[in-house]
Amino acid sequence: MNSIDLTTPTRQSARGLVLIFLFSFQKFVRAFWPLFLVLVFQNNIFQNQRVIYISILVFVVLLAAHTILYYLNFYFYVVGDEFILKKGYLRKQTLSVPLERIQSVNTKQNLIQQVLDVVTLEIDTAGTVGKELKIHALSKAYSNALQEKLQTEKSTKKWAEETTAEETEKAKEETLLHLSPTDLLRIGISQNHIRAGLIIIAFGMQLFNQAQDVFQEQADKYSNEFIEFMSHSNWALITFLVIFFLLVSILFSLLRTVLKYFDFKLFKRAETYRIESGLLNKRNVIIPHQKVQELNWETGPLKKIFGIYHLVFKQAVSGQNRRQQQQLVDAPGCLKHHLERLKSDLFGEDKLNEAPRIYTNNFYFRRLWLLFGWIPAILASPFFYSDWIFWGAALVWLLAAAGYCYLIIKKRYFRVKNNQIRISKGAISHKWEQMELHKIQAVEFKQSIFQKRRSLASLDLMNASGTITIPFIDEKIAKQLYNYLLYHTEISKRSWM
Amino acid sequence: MENFTNSIVLPGNLPEVDPVKFTGLNRKYLTVLYARILIVFLILAGGLIAFVSLADETVPEKFIYLIAGAILLIIAYSAIITTLGFPKKGYLIREKDVSFQRGLITYKVTSVPLNRIQHVEVNQGVLGKMLQLSSVKIYTAGGTSSDLTIPGLSKPEARKMKAFLSGKISEHE
Repeated sequence: MNSIDLTTPTRQSARGLVLIFLFSFQKFVRAFWPLFLVLVFQNNIFQNQRVIYISILVFVVLLAAHTILYYLNFYFYVVGDEFILKKGYLRKQTLSVPLERIQSVNTKQNLIQQVLDVVTLEIDTAGTVGKELKIHALSKAYSNALQEKLQTEKSTKKWAEETTAEETEKAKEETLLHLSPTDLLRIGISQNHIRAGLIIIAFGMQLFNQAQDVFQEQADKYSNEFIEFMSHSNWALITFLVIFFLLVSILFSLLRTVLKYFDFKLFKRAETYRIESGLLNKRNVIIPHQKVQELNWETGPLKKIFGIYHLVFKQAVSGQNRRQQQQLVDAPGCLKHHLERLKSDLFGEDKLNEAPRIYTNNFYFRRLWLLFGWIPAILASPFFYSDWIFWGAALVWLLAAAGYCYLIIKKRYFRVKNNQIRISKGAISHKWEQMELHKIQAVEFKQSIFQKRRSLASLDLMNASGTITIPFIDEKIAKQLYNYLLYHTEISKRSWM
Repeated sequence: MENFTNSIVLPGNLPEVDPVKFTGLNRKYLTVLYARILIVFLILAGGLIAFVSLADETVPEKFIYLIAGAILLIIAYSAIITTLGFPKKGYLIREKDVSFQRGLITYKVTSVPLNRIQHVEVNQGVLGKMLQLSSVKIYTAGGTSSDLTIPGLSKPEARKMKAFLSGKISEHE
């Protein structure tokens, strides 16, 4: 199928020397930048220009030597059913992973790598060695061959008992979703602009503060002028500012969307998905179905207009890099039929709609309102003496909080049927989380004395990608569900990964 | 398994995790908990004394009493909660899962099915060593939120529990 022989020890792409050099340079600068600062400011050392040139030259030569040695001593190959990586010249290191332990092989490509036509390959294993198994300057051909090899290895092994070889051959890659520039526009527009706006404000404030420190006098003058200008201005100006601010937020969201999801493609082959996307940083991620612990999807007021959902595959990941990993495996701009397709791929026939919705108890509303409404209002009470306007503000705040909490509890429910559970939540946007019950790792039952008085309880279902919470439901239902979940996990012969 | 249906809104007769059947922790563990509170008290009190004696100006007496009162209140509260909450703590090992319960104000039970345990560890702290107590830590793939620690076990009890649970892991592999 491919001309590349995986069994011979291979080095990284020669073009990658540039990349390794740059990476080492970056690492070195990061580690020693305080030293540089000291050297630069103690200019008596650098009085002599010659010294500067010589030290730069020595530095570059040493770094180049390191790069070449690193490159020469870094190779990898497949022996039998193990992938082996050897690296290091001072301290030699050999890493080996059995092929069947490899969960997925992902690639990333930043701008320099795109120019050099090489990729970063990350091998994800069930254990923790995964982080070490990174190859920064791999030729694309090799990485494709390796991905191919691992995928076929996996699927043939899995299908060996059930299907014939012909059917395995037939497993071609199918494109499920391909985002066009118009789609990106829709996704960008329907992002959460409030969040984007807050990021911009925070950034702007910081910038303003720094600028103020530098140009103290001018800043004072301008800010005085600005305040005067503002106090004389009318509503039209304020409206203009709001619109301007909104436009900046939208532009910012659009930019982020394009950078992250440019030419987004979602493929399916046999029991795996593959995602390809990005403009400056390209990513190529493989998601085996069985590694998906939880499927989350979300829609908001703007997304609803376009009928799109933002979808996240929550995978089993080891400890620290959990958040980082999850950001990588999302699919924005799914239409209803995409969502249904993915759900049926991952969970089979959807019977959850037959199951009744079990809503959170109204007491949850009181709890949330207390938390978001009353406590902040009471904390702000010292201001009430100063001006009657604070009373008005507190009242508006309490009402707004009540509205918000009402939205939360209206959306908070769950459904359970056979081996599926789906919870619904959100306030302004609407989110769903669905998982198979045999993916459960642990269950927790929680009941505060306030809940006990009203015969209520909360449940936490933990899986290898996170926790699903079911707050404030009837104690009896909580207990039954608890027992049912344990029972289901315990009798299930299916592996959680 | 596939044709098994049991809607949870209907009462089923699944085995229940009965709080009464849990085994309480070793009484000696209460000493460990008290010792921890004592350590926190010593740190807080030490901090206050250091602050008062090292401050440049004389600290107003009212302020000292206020802080000292707050510290005493926190310590008394933790001591009461610890004492009353201790009988709530306990573990239950069934054929197919292991559970731990605790909590006076918020009662919590966590259960881990035996076929989801990754590995089991027996730990012993400094205080535990003096009192011959160990804790058993059960790791799952769910990360820190679903790892289960059962403290306050006598050494042989902990060793027996680890042996049992480790045996179950190899069964499921």
